Amino acid sequence: MVLEADDLWKTYGDRPVVQGVSFSLAAGEVLGFLGANGAGKTTTVGMLYGAVIPSRGRVMVDGFNVQTQGRRARQIMGVVTQEDNLDPDFSVFDNLRYFASFYGITGRAAQNRASELLAQVGLEDYHKHRVDQLSGGLKRRLVLARALINQPRLVFLDEPTTGLDPDARQDFWRLVTELKQAGCGVLLTTHYMDEAQRLCDRLLLLQNGQVINSGTPLDLIHSTIGVEVIEVDGLKEDQLQPLLTQFQTWGRPVGVHYLIAVPPQGGDELWDYLSHRHPVGLSRRRANLEDVFLRLTGHTLDEN
Amino acid sequence: MKTDLAVSTPTSGNHAQAPITPWGVYAAWRRNARVYQATWLVNSLPPLSEPLIYLVAFGYGLTPLVGDVMYNGASVDYLRFLAPGMMAIGVLFQSYSEGAYASYLRLDYQKTWHAILTTPLTFSEVFTGELLWAATKGMIAALATGILAVFWGLMSVGTVVLSIPLLLLGSVTFGAAGLLTAGLVRTIDQINVPLFLLIVPMFTLCGTYFPRDTLPSPLFEVASALPLAALADLLRWPLGLPDHWPWALLWLLGWAIASTLLAWRTIYPRLFR
Repeated sequence: MVLEADDLWKTYGDRPVVQGVSFSLAAGEVLGFLGANGAGKTTTVGMLYGAVIPSRGRVMVDGFNVQTQGRRARQIMGVVTQEDNLDPDFSVFDNLRYFASFYGITGRAAQNRASELLAQVGLEDYHKHRVDQLSGGLKRRLVLARALINQPRLVFLDEPTTGLDPDARQDFWRLVTELKQAGCGVLLTTHYMDEAQRLCDRLLLLQNGQVINSGTPLDLIHSTIGVEVIEVDGLKEDQLQPLLTQFQTWGRPVGVHYLIAVPPQGGDELWDYLSHRHPVGLSRRRANLEDVFLRLTGHTLDEN
Repeated sequence: MKTDLAVSTPTSGNHAQAPITPWGVYAAWRRNARVYQATWLVNSLPPLSEPLIYLVAFGYGLTPLVGDVMYNGASVDYLRFLAPGMMAIGVLFQSYSEGAYASYLRLDYQKTWHAILTTPLTFSEVFTGELLWAATKGMIAALATGILAVFWGLMSVGTVVLSIPLLLLGSVTFGAAGLLTAGLVRTIDQINVPLFLLIVPMFTLCGTYFPRDTLPSPLFEVASALPLAALADLLRWPLGLPDHWPWALLWLLGWAIASTLLAWRTIYPRLFR
């Protein structure tokens, strides 16, 4: 395992922010932390790379304890933090070149590695630009390139696509997929369920600093919701509640809709039943992680 | 799996306990030196122009009025008295402003410290690199003043060279004071508070421009207790050291150590929660 977290806790005063998080991550795997804002994702990731001191627990990176052998552990990891911390005093190229020196990579080797990474993330035409001349998407690409300067075995991506436009997010996803294919372990925190579903081999769902469920995206969806859901508009909740008991399924209001998990047996019967009630709107779609999150926490990811 | 317990205190954790390596300190120092190098022409203006302007202004403007001053019981040419004071002021302003303003920007706005701390460098190495860079700025300013003073015939080359250990001690002291400020303030404007309450009074009262013994007694005592007074007194060694010079040296050393430790303890919790 490239990363192992064992019973991580973090408390600020009497307030627990992370409570007993344990998991492991293999090389070539993308593990996602999915949770609303304030769920404890960033604090947990901070403990994993050493920026937050755990109140209890242990983190091992490729066999090195992050707390007691941090220098060795950080030698083989790369970090993309949530906030932009590129060096505005340097050009795009020099951001990589001088960051390489912190890993002991200097001279020609640093220049070659910087050029190689700029080509990999599609920034070779910007190498002389100042950081503040880059768009948000280009900056995120540069941050990722910087995190790869030491050819890490483990990369932390903390909300890497927040604030990016759809094209920039797609570009970023492609880079993460390439990392995975190269055998790098990737830990990704996100509150975008499409991102989690698309990129992650396995997910940890976090709420109030606790892991409330884990598994592959598909397993989580199927075990928690099923294959499909029905969205109903224009029927009252007290009309729909008895159906949940009758069809032994789950449902709840979400905004203007009422969401009902299609049960393994009797799905078509439920659909017909609802159709005959003449709702304003009725649609059937594949269940997704947003539905899982809603069922497990009672909130949508955006609500918090 | 067995669980390790780690108590969350400001000084716990690997970053605080890891040994400092010369390579790590150099890497952190070099980052700032590279930025300075890229804009060296602009950067070298203040340390060169300020002492030149002061020496010209005081040399041609005040010397005819002041003539000689009494220092350490002897009559001394005013510009010879002033030159070591100008070196001390260069140390004060350049080291302090680099430690306070520039380090604060790297700490709070640019998050440069945060980025570097994701690499194998430890907090102690980044902190020491920053401190030594602030000290380097002070040394550049002081040595630029010293070179001007040599060309002006106010000092010998030997005096400047032999003063280097003192200049380094002073630069570390004020660089650490700057870092302490950077660790304490929450907005960049707040840096003006210690600047105007401590640094500017120190710059004017500590005997850099005139002998302190002209001050009223209580003010003399206060001014003499400030670290710039000790540095200015010690840098005037070619004019004669005061009787209390070993105490002045220890006092300055004490300020350097205390400021460094306090700065370390103030900045660490801002980076590691």
